[in-house]
Formats: sequence, structure tokens, C-alpha cells
Amino acid sequence: MSVSKKIVLLGHFGVGKSSLLRRFVENTFSENYTVTIGVHIMKKEVLIGNQPVTLIIWDVEGTDDFTKYRPSYLLGASAFIYVFDASRKVTYSDLSYNLDHLSEKYPHVPVHIIGNKVDLVDVEALQQALNEQNIQADYLSSAKTGENVEQLFTDVAAQMLKNA
Amino acid sequence: MLKSLQEEFLQKNTQVIVVDQEAKVLDTTNTLMRVKKDTLLTDYHPFFYSITSLFDQEKASHYFYCVQIEVLSKQCFFDIRVHIDPKKAEAVLFIIDLTDHYKSVHQIKQVRNESIIDFNMAQELNNQLEVQRGFKNKFLANVSHEIRTPLNSILGFINVLQGTALNREQLDLVNIIKSSSQNLTAIVDDLLDISKIEAGRLEIKNKRFDFREYLDRLSATYALQAEEKRLEFTVEIGEKIPKFLVIDHLRINQILVNLLDNAIKYSHKGRVTLKVFTQSRNLRKIPLTIEVIDQGIGIDQEHISTIFDSFTQIEKQGLFGGSGLGLSIVKQLTELMGGQITVESTKDKGSTFRFTLDVGVSHDQKRKKIEKRKTAIEPVAKTDRKRILLGEDVEVNQLLLLKLFADRKEYSLDIAKNGEQVLKFLDNYHYDLILMDLTMPIMDGFDTAARIRSHSNKRINKLPIIALTARRSDEDREACKEVGMNAYLTKPLDEDLLFGTIQKQINKYKRKKDTD
Repeated sequence: MSVSKKIVLLGHFGVGKSSLLRRFVENTFSENYTVTIGVHIMKKEVLIGNQPVTLIIWDVEGTDDFTKYRPSYLLGASAFIYVFDASRKVTYSDLSYNLDHLSEKYPHVPVHIIGNKVDLVDVEALQQALNEQNIQADYLSSAKTGENVEQLFTDVAAQMLKNA
Repeated sequence: MLKSLQEEFLQKNTQVIVVDQEAKVLDTTNTLMRVKKDTLLTDYHPFFYSITSLFDQEKASHYFYCVQIEVLSKQCFFDIRVHIDPKKAEAVLFIIDLTDHYKSVHQIKQVRNESIIDFNMAQELNNQLEVQRGFKNKFLANVSHEIRTPLNSILGFINVLQGTALNREQLDLVNIIKSSSQNLTAIVDDLLDISKIEAGRLEIKNKRFDFREYLDRLSATYALQAEEKRLEFTVEIGEKIPKFLVIDHLRINQILVNLLDNAIKYSHKGRVTLKVFTQSRNLRKIPLTIEVIDQGIGIDQEHISTIFDSFTQIEKQGLFGGSGLGLSIVKQLTELMGGQITVESTKDKGSTFRFTLDVGVSHDQKRKKIEKRKTAIEPVAKTDRKRILLGEDVEVNQLLLLKLFADRKEYSLDIAKNGEQVLKFLDNYHYDLILMDLTMPIMDGFDTAARIRSHSNKRINKLPIIALTARRSDEDREACKEVGMNAYLTKPLDEDLLFGTIQKQINKYKRKKDTD
């Protein structure tokens, strides 16, 4: 029997949250940027070992201030995926501030940090910039090329299953 | 009436669904989306999946804003209120269709976010360019400095060699080496200037300056150069041009020298003209226009837009030499001074470089500033031999100075390899002056000078110190002043300037000592 888990994608606007979701669920990608307002929800079943897990993924409207997120969106989440844009420093310069807020309000929900759009940057320079800010990204991904997308969602699912 | 309108609105825009704890649909109004009774609500949209976990929570009510749900292939935006009744083990969902409202919000946010992202990207690009530019400037400054040090030795020894008994052929060859070395020095200087301008470290220093006298001297120099290439050289200076301007004369000279050098270099026949004029008789500020016109090889339209870029040369075949930095420096200096430069050119017919800038007019157009009384270089008797201490770590530079001093019987030279040794020598011997390299191991020139100035012995702490350095930055010059050095000479050393400065400083020191 499938277990369902809610994941919420968080981050600044334009970092590629919706693109990651579409790449993962539909295996599609569009260069055009379309703003997400409110919340857009998709689901996909993955198999972790022999266990089917239905991921209900909430792609919520981007913001630079996580204190502004509507609590109802984050309610009942089993994991947060914090997405930043590897090509725009401003989308990860306030990461620790936002992480502090999440750990204070949702202490039991694990946060996975994803640097998206790595196809646009020099990874070595990015790593250096992240190190300077003490940021440890769990994955560097590209919704455009598909790099690490399947992997990160599957790993998050496995982690949730382990924590359940 | 109002009630019926309200009911009509609610009927059209809201849907109520009642489900049990398993999310089985017990009842529905089916206004917005078709949901069958006794089916599972979770089958209709993943949103309903997530909320089933809330049914067993204590909180009775939740409100979800702007949930995107596709209904009959149409993207809808709903606000959904979920009311849980634990006693009945039921939940009631109130779904309100606000698609039109959220779509208008969507358009506004789309435009806003796109412009912010564009701005972020531009900032990001700017930062990257800044980093690259900083790296380039640092690289240029370091390389220039490294090249200047051996170049100093080459030029110094060429001067020594010129003073030896050479036959005509040898002298010609030495002259060629000297000329090439001087060209190389000019290129290195250009590189340093470019790096300074781009790093924003070059300051414009406006001072009262006899502009007309300067133009006369400049014209005389270039008339000679033009004559060597059988070119005609004419100068037209407008009658409204004041004699004294308030201007950075070093930089205006750099601009004009570059433009006139180019005009002569790229002309094989005809005339080179320097025009200086203004339309204004204002007593405080005038718009100055300077044109350098030649009838040389000209620039084709394809290259004219890049002519002021660094490392651009019209002729790539190396016929004319140079680094291609001159015009870039001219443009950047002109802009730094608040002016503009333009070029008009026709291939094989010639070019006109025109630069305009607002310059201050000195309120005093008559008085020539009283020049500081030049200290006469007094002959020194052999018995009055002056003892000089040189602080220098590079052997080849030590050797060069030894050679230069060898012919000067009025001086003797001791050499210390670093600042620490300089201090030791000073404690043990009497000196009349110190020549101090700035970059030395163990203790550098700045530190050593500062220690000399704070020395308890008056005989030592007042000694004149001349900085000798391949570094030409204003910061270094200022730093030398700050630590109490008396003069600053840059390498490659000019022999006459070196001994002139030494004698001047010694005389000054002696006079001061006599009056104390």
C-alpha cells in the first residue's frame, strides 16, 4: 500500500521551483518564466525499495521572506525543499535567516537545500561562493538538463520514509 | 433583493463538499467542479490528499488561499476553507472561485518579478565584471612592476655604457637598444595607467598652469618630430584661450602627447595640425576644445567604433609599434576630467581627434608664480666627500648604483641589503644621506624610514632619505611622505636627476643644520 507524503518547495521567486516539479513529474521543461501565485500541487509515486511512496508536492509562490509564507501551505509537511538559484546570489544570501525561521516554526520538518540552474554557472565558483557563506547545498540541480532532479526527490522520499 | 443577489453570487462562485474522515464524498453542491457522491475526494486533485491528514487534528478550521486546480482543462484559482467537525467525524469544504481576481494579480506579479530578476541578473553580471576587472588591474599592476625592475637595470647600464669609449657603430647599436628600452618603458607606464584608471585609483589634480607657455613648448617639440618625417606641423591657438588655466597639466599633457604621437606616427605626408580654441570669454570656466588633425592613413568605418578600446591598433602588422593602449588612456583620462573625445576619420585621408572639456580659468592671468629658488648644485671639494648609504636588496641594482657613483668622486657609497642592515650601519657610521629602496626583505623601506625618523639620535633621525622605487603609485608617494622621506625617485633612474636630488637634499640638510 502506498504511503503519501507532503513536500513543500520553498524559495525566492524565479529560482525554478515549478520547473523542478514539472521536470520531476512530467519530464518537461520550458525556458519561459511563469510566476506561480498561491500554490500549485502535483503528485508522483516513487518506489523506495519495495515501498511505493506518493509524493504530494506543494509548489508555493516564491518569496524572499519566509516569515510571509502562509502557515496553511506548510501545514502537515513531511519535508521542505529549499530551492535557490545558483546564478543569482541574492536568492541564497539570506538562506540562513530563512532556515532559522523554518527551524523555529517547524522544528521537526527536515529541510533539503537545492541549488538549481547549475547549467548556468561555473560550479567551482559557485561552491566557493557557497563556502564563503557557510552554505552546504544537498544537491546542485538543473531543471533544464534534468541533472539531479529525479535523484533529489527520490532521496527526499527515502529520507521521509526513514523518519516516519 | 440583496439576499437573492448574494445567493446568486454564492451559487455561481462557491461549492460546498461534505466528506467523512476517509475523504469519501457525502454531499456536494457541484457548482464549480463535478464530484460524485460516495467517491473519494482524493481522487479528484492531489490538494485533497494533503488535507485528509488534518481531519484528525484538533484545530477545527483551515483556510487555503489561491489553490490552483484544473477544472475541465481550465486553470482555476480557489480559496478553500476546511471546517472539521470531529464529533460528526466529517469535514466541510467551502470552495470559493476567485480565478478572475487571482489572474489579475498574476499579471502584476509576473511583470514585477521579471523586472526584479532582470535587475538581479544585471547586478550579478556587474559583480562578475568587477571581479574580473579587479583581477586584470592587479595583474597588470604586478606585471608592470616586475617588468620595470629589470628594465631599470637595462636602462641604467645603457647609460653607463654610453659613457664609455665606444666607436661609432657600437654607439649606434647602444642607441637602438636604448630607444627600444624606452619604448618598452612607455608601454609599461601605459599599462600601469590603465590599471590605475580602471581601478579608480587615478586622481585628477587641477592646478594653476601656464597653458600658453606649455603649448609653445609642445609645438616646438612636435614641429621637430614632424620635420623628421617631412610633415608640415601647424598650431592654431584661439585668441580667447587664457594664459593660465586651472587644470591637471600632467594628464592634459598625456592626452596631447598620445594624440600628437599618433598623428605623426600614422602620417606619411601632408600636415599635422593642433587647434586649441574656446567660444567663451568666461572668467571662471571655459569649454576648451582641442583638435589634432592629420592627413595620415585614417581609420576605416569598421574600426572606428573600437578605436578607443584597450589593445586596439589600426595597423596590426606591427609597422607602427606601440601597445594599442594610448587612445584608451586618452579616452579614459578625458572622461575622468569630465570631458569628451570624438573622432572623425576617412580611410587614406586622415583623422580629426577632438576633445572638449570644461576647465577653470585662473583669476590671476598676469603673475607668474614665484618659483622656488632653485638650489644651486654646489661643487664639493674632495675633502668634503659625502657618504651615502644605499638600502637595496637586488644585486643588479646595487651594481648599477655602484657604477654610477664610481665616476662621482665627491661621493662614497655603502650598501645595506635590507632595512635592518641600514639601521645597523647608521648606528656605526656617519652618513650624509640615505637612498632607500622600498621593497626589501626583512624590513622594507617604509618601515626603515619610520624607524630612522623615530631614532633617539638627532644625527640619525634628521638624515635626508630619498626613496628609490620601481613603483609609481600616488599611494606609495604619499606613504613615503608620511614616514618622513624627503624625496621620491622612480626607476629607471635618471642619472642627472638622481645626483641633482642627492645634492639638493644634502645642501638643504646642511643649511638646516647650520641654522639649528
